[in-house]
Amino acid sequence: MTVDRRRFLQLATLGIAGVADSACGRGVSRGDAALARPQLLAMLGPERVRQLGAHYRAARPSEGSADALRTAISNGHRIRIPLLGIGSLDDQVRDDFAAGRTVRVDGWVLSVTEARQAALFSLTPA
Amino acid sequence: MHTDARTLPNGTVLEADLCIVGAGASGITIARELSNTNLKVLLLEGGGFDFDPQMQELYRGEIVGLPYYPLQAAAEHYFGGTTMHWAGFCSTYDAIDFDKRDWVPHSGWPIRREDLDPFYARAQPILDLRQYKYEPADWKNGDSDRVPLLGDSPAFTTKMWQFSPPTRFGTKYRAEIVNSPNVHLYTHANVVEVEPTDGLTAVQTVRVRGFDGKEFRARARNFVLACHTIQNARLLLASNSKARSGLGNANDLVGRYFMEHFEMPSAELAVTNPSTIKTKLYELDYMKGTPRGELALSPTAQKEHRVLHGTASVEAGDPTDQVQSTFQFIDSAMITAVREWEKGGKKGPHPIGVAAAKLSHPISGPPRFYHLTTRQEQAPNPDSRVTLSSEKDALGMPRAKLDWRVTELDKRSMRTFYEVLGREVGRTDTGRVQIRDWLLGDDKTWPSFISGGWHHMGTTRMSADPKQGVVDANCKVHGLANLYIGGASVYATAGAVNPTLTLVALSLRLADHLKALT
Repeated sequence: MTVDRRRFLQLATLGIAGVADSACGRGVSRGDAALARPQLLAMLGPERVRQLGAHYRAARPSEGSADALRTAISNGHRIRIPLLGIGSLDDQVRDDFAAGRTVRVDGWVLSVTEARQAALFSLTPA
Repeated sequence: MHTDARTLPNGTVLEADLCIVGAGASGITIARELSNTNLKVLLLEGGGFDFDPQMQELYRGEIVGLPYYPLQAAAEHYFGGTTMHWAGFCSTYDAIDFDKRDWVPHSGWPIRREDLDPFYARAQPILDLRQYKYEPADWKNGDSDRVPLLGDSPAFTTKMWQFSPPTRFGTKYRAEIVNSPNVHLYTHANVVEVEPTDGLTAVQTVRVRGFDGKEFRARARNFVLACHTIQNARLLLASNSKARSGLGNANDLVGRYFMEHFEMPSAELAVTNPSTIKTKLYELDYMKGTPRGELALSPTAQKEHRVLHGTASVEAGDPTDQVQSTFQFIDSAMITAVREWEKGGKKGPHPIGVAAAKLSHPISGPPRFYHLTTRQEQAPNPDSRVTLSSEKDALGMPRAKLDWRVTELDKRSMRTFYEVLGREVGRTDTGRVQIRDWLLGDDKTWPSFISGGWHHMGTTRMSADPKQGVVDANCKVHGLANLYIGGASVYATAGAVNPTLTLVALSLRLADHLKALT
């Protein structure tokens, strides 16, 4: 895991950073709850999001683990709110779309952040 | 006046100031404009007043290249032409459609959108349309929910359509034409050859032939070929007694640049908040004819991404619905069913509505998903063309051979549309877009359900340069002093929207030009 201490604390402040907990299986912790709950869930439902996440991971072996996904998400995070030092994941997703940081998964045009969130979600127990 | 040409003696020669070949939207519009003038006008229509399979059979053609709809079912060959089965979708071309775009080979018209504006306005009542207004704000109809999606997006606009009832020219304008004091309509008058002077500088006569072998000619000062796009090209190519490669074809352009509008299911939209999204402006209420919008790629985005002009309809539906392309959905049997339904006084539900209901699932509550169906121009392509078949029809005229070909730009443009749309709906938190599988592959491969909308355009394209087009800005054939073309065959590019309104506008413009000649 390559998240530095400062960024880890930033993420933890918003409750989106996970603490590795092997008991949850495949490296996904209870603390990943927010990180692994993309907005997509409300639109597409868990089954389809899980599938999208699995396909994302399959296409990108370097992001196949929860650690790698958490790192990628946090590295993609941009500081937006001076007081908190960080913006929300929803903001990050919108920023991705605005900047063209999108990826196609099963034909869906997704923000890279939410695609990684879906991948993380796919690692949580069904 | 009206005469059934089958009653004319063999060898008759008719004389007129103007001879119009073809009584469809273009020919009837021009004839009506010239009615009650001092001009003696002949209007020659191959068919009669009713659908006739024998006449329709003359339109049968050979199809090579990409699969295409049977040609004899794609256009109507009787008084009123293809308005006798059109659906009535009308919208205006945009300024960019007339521009030369450096990313679209062979684009650019010798006229601009402003040149057509007054004619668009005049075309509206001819097609029984509402006010000449095509901005979304014009059609709120007092409903605050009828607003554009992505209203602040620089990449998307909402293109508005109005709906003709649809006007059947053969029904609505029949009495007016038949009772005109100076327009003489001849039905069952199939022109099989346009005959030029020996020097090939003008047209002298057109030769008409009946199924019984009888022939007559029409001589005039000016001629307008106002047939269907494929038939205009076919007639010019078949007029090769003196001009070996066909009339107006000195630069091998007649028949080339055949274009369609792609009409294909392309993507799905999943919305973030079904209860608050406002999609009323995009609803199709075909029976009421309420104007509706489609999402359109803005001129700025077209330039930025170097793609063609396209729109997408936004229709609520379940992702498991069987969404079909136009050619899949409306087959020959459906066309017959609609014709019978109209003939029977439009009793009961519209056959298309019945068929559509069978393919879709009922939706309960605010829709969460929408089908996005492309309507896009096809890039002008000289290799997409109409030539003559070796097979001849019952009148001894070579049949048309259609070689419809598309380019990589066509498919890339469609995919780009949905990629940009995906980004915009994500950025605005409107929802997410899923592009259909067929659109994700390489740009050379097309699915079996590739479809147009029976919008045949090009084949005698307009250009100021005789080496780039068949007709000039006045629709006059280059190199021939008195031959004009009416109809969608003169389109240099296809635009994104249905062609009929523009066709009628161009016909009005041509009529004004012809009037000014006298």
